[in-house]
Amino acid sequence: MRGRSQALLDINAHSRLDLTPNQPGQAPDRFWEDCSVEEIPARGSAEKIPNGVQRSSIAVPAKKARQIGSLRDFIQLLTDNQQCIRWTEPVMPEPDIRHIAVAASNDVRGGPAVLFDNIRGYPGRKLIIGVHATWANIALLLGYPKTATIKELFFEMTRRWGAKGAKPELNWIKPEDAPVNEVRIEKAINLYDLIPLTRINEFDGGFYLGKAAVVSRDPRDPEDFNKQNVGIYRLQIHAPDTFSLMTIPAHDIGRQILIAEKENRPFRISVMLGNHPAIAMFAATPLAYDESEFAYASAMMGQPITLTQSGNGLDILAGTEIVIEAELMTGERILEGPFGEFPGSYSGVRRAPVFKVTAVSHRRDPIFESIYIGKGWTEHDTLIGLSTSVPIYSVLKDQFPEIQAVNALYHHGLTGIISLKNRYGGFAKSVALRALSTPHGMMYLKNLIMVDDDVDPFDLNQVMWAISVRTRASDIMVMPNMPMVPIDPAAEVPGKGHHLIIDATSFMAPDPVGPDMKMVNRPTGEHIERLMRQIRKMQENGAQ
Amino acid sequence: MSTSTSNSCPRCRGERTETQYQGKEAGQVIWSVLHCQQCSFSWRDSEPPESISPAKRDPFFNVNPEEVKRYPIVLPPMA
Repeated sequence: MRGRSQALLDINAHSRLDLTPNQPGQAPDRFWEDCSVEEIPARGSAEKIPNGVQRSSIAVPAKKARQIGSLRDFIQLLTDNQQCIRWTEPVMPEPDIRHIAVAASNDVRGGPAVLFDNIRGYPGRKLIIGVHATWANIALLLGYPKTATIKELFFEMTRRWGAKGAKPELNWIKPEDAPVNEVRIEKAINLYDLIPLTRINEFDGGFYLGKAAVVSRDPRDPEDFNKQNVGIYRLQIHAPDTFSLMTIPAHDIGRQILIAEKENRPFRISVMLGNHPAIAMFAATPLAYDESEFAYASAMMGQPITLTQSGNGLDILAGTEIVIEAELMTGERILEGPFGEFPGSYSGVRRAPVFKVTAVSHRRDPIFESIYIGKGWTEHDTLIGLSTSVPIYSVLKDQFPEIQAVNALYHHGLTGIISLKNRYGGFAKSVALRALSTPHGMMYLKNLIMVDDDVDPFDLNQVMWAISVRTRASDIMVMPNMPMVPIDPAAEVPGKGHHLIIDATSFMAPDPVGPDMKMVNRPTGEHIERLMRQIRKMQENGAQ
Repeated sequence: MSTSTSNSCPRCRGERTETQYQGKEAGQVIWSVLHCQQCSFSWRDSEPPESISPAKRDPFFNVNPEEVKRYPIVLPPMA
């Protein structure tokens, strides 16, 4: 089913795939077994080992990435690579954690996650923030050296996207054997006792769980595993055992809540906190209603993910840190928000559905995973940037093999850059219009920049060069009154606004402009990229 | 550590507030979490005044409990 981020709207969908988990007794397609990440089958021949990356250079990190089974494993991997620091000095919940999180992730390239274990008033409690906040951490999760370029990671993701049709393997273990059930609380539940809650932004309406993966099932078809939804929704704590969940009818869970209320069916959810890092990254990827995020994350990681059943009958990650079981308070709504959202602006105050906590399970000495989200660049951007770019690329590539890469990293794709092999004058504009009609592009791709294949869309210096020398004012298109993300502050009215296309591709016939222009031949290609890697390695090794 | 001067809500100035939790170390209260039953605002009395002092807060974020119905319902319950 459709995964999502904290965004208020997500209308994405893509082609349906067979992600049915293997049934007991059925031989699994162990396509990942004994192979390194780069050997995960790709769709077609377009996505080869990206950019000539040497297999030997990623064999070790790829092996380590395959060994990630939980958040704790990933924290260890980050720590081993100097990508997680432990903050042992005492800090106040506000504003210290917010400030430290921002400072750590301001180095978007290589900043660390930060693990706090000395938060005033929360003795013994642990909070980690910034797990997915920097490209170095994303690279390690994808089995690459932490110095991998964003372009390399993008092509790695496109290759894995091609593998998502393969049957994934999901392991189930008994609840009594699951680490998440080491401690079980069914009476006198107090979330503040367990979770070191903090205010994420200074004018948020309260204390939020900003990186919680919520599991729910179709109230009309609760036995269907694939109609089980895993999504990241923002949850505001209103009492020690009560929270609200922000959603809208377009979300899977919004639709489920409306059905449950209309038909007076019970609606139970499990909220997973501190998850296998693939879940947060891939739960944000748009999937069809009957596709399982667990199966998808397993396929994308190329390794089985281990599930168990929660006390209220939902499938959950067996190794997650904390699981909150809760039930919808039918028909009740409570004031929710504001919340500092991904465009960098506050959402408004709304009246949102309310859930009552019925039980909590957690690992011993649980680690609460939080996120800083707000004015960019933030962890939210790094977390979902590639998952936003790859589906757009996939849709376009099917119809236009000229497409080279899609960089929609900027705030859930509010700005995107597409590189392509230009064919004739005006070609890029027509492709841009197609991009605006992709499921995600329709509302999110507000500003779209088209560049030639000699421009790396992930290198903003090159993009600015293309705009500087290849864009005429007449190459800019403004499409007024188009669909838009309601929380985009640039909307004319919430949900509607203007889209922009900047054609920064080269002049081609029948365009009469610039026939005498001759481009400088800048050295480029595999040879230069090999030299870049060599130089990077020499730098890492401290070469004089 | 700054503290609010009263238990009234920093956002709507309502008086119907409750202390929901106290963070303690060695039996000593470090801070308290309060919740407004009128506008649902939660706060910790140790937060910076820009967040919890009505005099310092940006009034844009104030909520008038008399106007609760002006806030949209994100999932209108169906009859």
